[in-house]
Amino acid sequence: MSIAAPASQSGTLAEVLGVFRRIASTFTGTMGLFIVAMVISAAIFAPWITPYDPDALDVMRRFQNPSATHWLGTDHLGRDLFSRLIMGSRIAMAVALSAIAIAMITGTLLGIAAASLPAHIERIILILFDVIASFPSLVLALAVVAVFGPSTQLVVVIVAVTLIPVFGRVARAQVLTINNAPYIEAERLLGASYARIVVSHLLPNIAGPLVVLASMEIPVVITIEAGLSFIGLGVRPPLASWGTLIYDGYAYLSDSKLPVIIASSALGLATLGFTLFGEALRDAVDPRLNRDH
Amino acid sequence: MEAASSPLVRIRHLSLDAATARGDAHILRDLSLDVGRGRILGIVGESGSGKSTLASVLLRLLPGNISRLDGEVLFDGVDLLKLGPDAMNAYRGTRIAMIFQDPMTALNPLFTVGTHLVDVMRRRDPGLSRVEALAKGEAMLTTVGIPDPALRMQAYPHQLSGGMRQRIMIAMALLVQPDLLIADEPTTALDATVEAQIVELFEHLREKFAGSIMFISHHLGLVAELCDDLCVMYGGVIVESGPVDAVLAKPGHPYTRALLDCEIDDDGEGRLVSIPGDVPDPVAALTACVFAPRCAHAIDICRADVPLLAAVAPNHLSACLRASEVLP
Amino acid sequence: MTAPFIEISDVDVVFGGRLRALDGINLTLDKGDILGLVGESGSGKTTLCKVLMGLARPTSGRITVAGETLTEIFARDAFSFRRRAQMLLQDAVASLSPRMRIGALVEEPLKIHDLPLAEGRLRIRMLLQRLGLPENTLGKYPHQVSGGQARRIAILRALVLTPDIIVADEPTAGLDVSVQGDLLNLMLDLHGEFGLTYLIVSHNLNVIRRITSRTAVMYLGQIVEESPTKALFKAPAHPYTAALLSTNPTVDPAKRRARIVIKGEIPSVVNPPSGCRFHTRCPNAVTRCSGEAPELRDMGEGRRVRCHFPLQAVPAMAAE
Repeated sequence: MSIAAPASQSGTLAEVLGVFRRIASTFTGTMGLFIVAMVISAAIFAPWITPYDPDALDVMRRFQNPSATHWLGTDHLGRDLFSRLIMGSRIAMAVALSAIAIAMITGTLLGIAAASLPAHIERIILILFDVIASFPSLVLALAVVAVFGPSTQLVVVIVAVTLIPVFGRVARAQVLTINNAPYIEAERLLGASYARIVVSHLLPNIAGPLVVLASMEIPVVITIEAGLSFIGLGVRPPLASWGTLIYDGYAYLSDSKLPVIIASSALGLATLGFTLFGEALRDAVDPRLNRDH
Repeated sequence: MEAASSPLVRIRHLSLDAATARGDAHILRDLSLDVGRGRILGIVGESGSGKSTLASVLLRLLPGNISRLDGEVLFDGVDLLKLGPDAMNAYRGTRIAMIFQDPMTALNPLFTVGTHLVDVMRRRDPGLSRVEALAKGEAMLTTVGIPDPALRMQAYPHQLSGGMRQRIMIAMALLVQPDLLIADEPTTALDATVEAQIVELFEHLREKFAGSIMFISHHLGLVAELCDDLCVMYGGVIVESGPVDAVLAKPGHPYTRALLDCEIDDDGEGRLVSIPGDVPDPVAALTACVFAPRCAHAIDICRADVPLLAAVAPNHLSACLRASEVLP
Repeated sequence: MTAPFIEISDVDVVFGGRLRALDGINLTLDKGDILGLVGESGSGKTTLCKVLMGLARPTSGRITVAGETLTEIFARDAFSFRRRAQMLLQDAVASLSPRMRIGALVEEPLKIHDLPLAEGRLRIRMLLQRLGLPENTLGKYPHQVSGGQARRIAILRALVLTPDIIVADEPTAGLDVSVQGDLLNLMLDLHGEFGLTYLIVSHNLNVIRRITSRTAVMYLGQIVEESPTKALFKAPAHPYTAALLSTNPTVDPAKRRARIVIKGEIPSVVNPPSGCRFHTRCPNAVTRCSGEAPELRDMGEGRRVRCHFPLQAVPAMAAE
């Protein structure tokens, strides 16, 4: 029989449920949670809930108004706007989540390295962060796209690189604080290697702030992706990104204002939802606001 | 004693609950207590006894999760719990002052010592000129034993040591001449030799200071040396109160007796004493003597009802039904 | 004469070239000793513990354990030293990793040292009982246990590795009086049962007096007095020790010493006073004290004092 507590998973699960309960305990948190759940389910179940092929042309039915057959109407090529909007959420989420995942993993590793390795290596990593952070992401995007041509993957890479210093700096600051915590000293006194301390004690304790940071960065990334796609440096048409939807609608503004309005509203709503969620999450995991025990 | 004059503070049936995830925690349970004029009252208790919360109630500086606050806190005849926020504010820092364990929390890092001193004096007396106030402040720094007072007036809080900051806090409290000075563990964070200096300063204060002092501490020895009266708290309840010498010489409550037994005797040998069991759960309602689960003398009547404070000697109260029986 | 179990010889620790945290420390511990270390902020007592535990390196001087220097031990097998010497940190709750259950925390030493889990778990069960910890403690998180329990858990974690040296930094700090007696009794019992050698750091003189057999008093990185505990408390030889003892508040008015309040604050370690480091605050200081630094002199009966004018007679004075 193991002496370790049975079902150690349930503790983490209870903790996660508690966080969600606290998020849902405020009005803005509930709103954020609702919108985020909507956007994410739309992204996951897109192929099953889109009533039409989002790329199917029907030039006979251009610029249709919302109706029972086309809930949100059609665009300049007669494509179903609702289906394209749903597919757009999928692209937005895919770009946001993969870019943030890459940035979080790379940034955290670099941050831990900066906080733990000798001073001259720390200096190099910090200078790297400064260089990336001082480089405007738009200029970087223009330069890279000029070389490689626009693509969805490139958007992910550009966004990820610009976010690395954001995560790296937070991770470094967290590790510097925790490195002095008595429980880290206690582990060293037991003879634990630094690798073991990082995996068992540092990572679990810096994960909270990093996850909050990630959730706060999601709306930013969604906006950047839409922006890059809008100016033609991101997702290539005919793929339905919210940015390309707005771009397409923009070109035919005199024919119908509907596509621009609908796509911008979706973008605005998703950004608002993730922002509200991120703020509620930050408050929910803040130990200073978390009085129960 | 001044039996004729009414006490400065008269607390009656004070109860305070705080909301927690497990339900309402009863932090203070039906407290009744007097603070005599010009007396130094020591409040002793272990962690969770509610002694610091009692100080917060007197200043009405309470956290946001208070779910119940009943009873009366009469300060010179005025119920502080019934005052509006502005009226209460007029008491804080003028008639009631406080000294904290960590003076850094009470000093603004952006202001010099001089500005702090002038500000507290002007709260009491808005007509005071700055030059006059600075002179009074400098004189007070000398009184509390700060060397080079003129130089220290220009210093910022972070430039001073912990002991020095605590002296500044005491100087601020004395300048406003409050009727009640509350000191919450004022020496706990200090080194032993510096602690001795502050204790000595408190002893000198008795001559210069006309008001009452409420001295909160977990350290029985310190309270014994410094205070006139003693109030022992346990689990949000006052279990005993009275003149300090009387209480320590002949405790009227088994908890006080047990605490004294736990003090490590100077030349004792053999096993050290502790009180078995755990502190009471603040969420549970009180239906018996609060100390009964850990008391060596508890019998059925102790578990039947909550005992009230009753006199075991003049001015000496104990909340124990068996006080005369088990503590002869 | 056999070499002492632990010998600290002429140990200096200088941080950043100017902060002299320890200055010429000489101390010995025999097997089974209980040595108390007393001092205020900046006295260097925590640094001394860290040096002994191999967490900080002496700038000069050496430390030997059972005849072998720490440098040799660490070069040969750092793990073996970690198994025999354990330290209890001051803040017991904070010394337990907050996101791990107690059950996992007490098994950590076994995993770190790659020891057989089955045997180790038997020992953990035995220690749980011995330390009076209820079985359900293992399922809890560090913030769910009391201060007294957290200390027992820290002791358990230390004893899992069967050490023979325990360094305890302020073992009763922050503990309520009603439970500190239990903890000290336990530490004394374990001392006998497990054949431990203790170095106990505390600012609580009552604790030092009751459980240690010898006491060293430190001031600004130096040992100013070392003596069998009983003799030290009965008749302190250094003015600093005397002042420190007199500040200890006691409940019983009959046992109170006349309080000696020494003036001023503890000087900075970066810029210590000339001569005797205590002369700026010493009530007995004369000109000689500011010019000439006193040596730590042998007073006989296992006592040493660093003072030109000790409060107790020094028999060997003529030989100076």
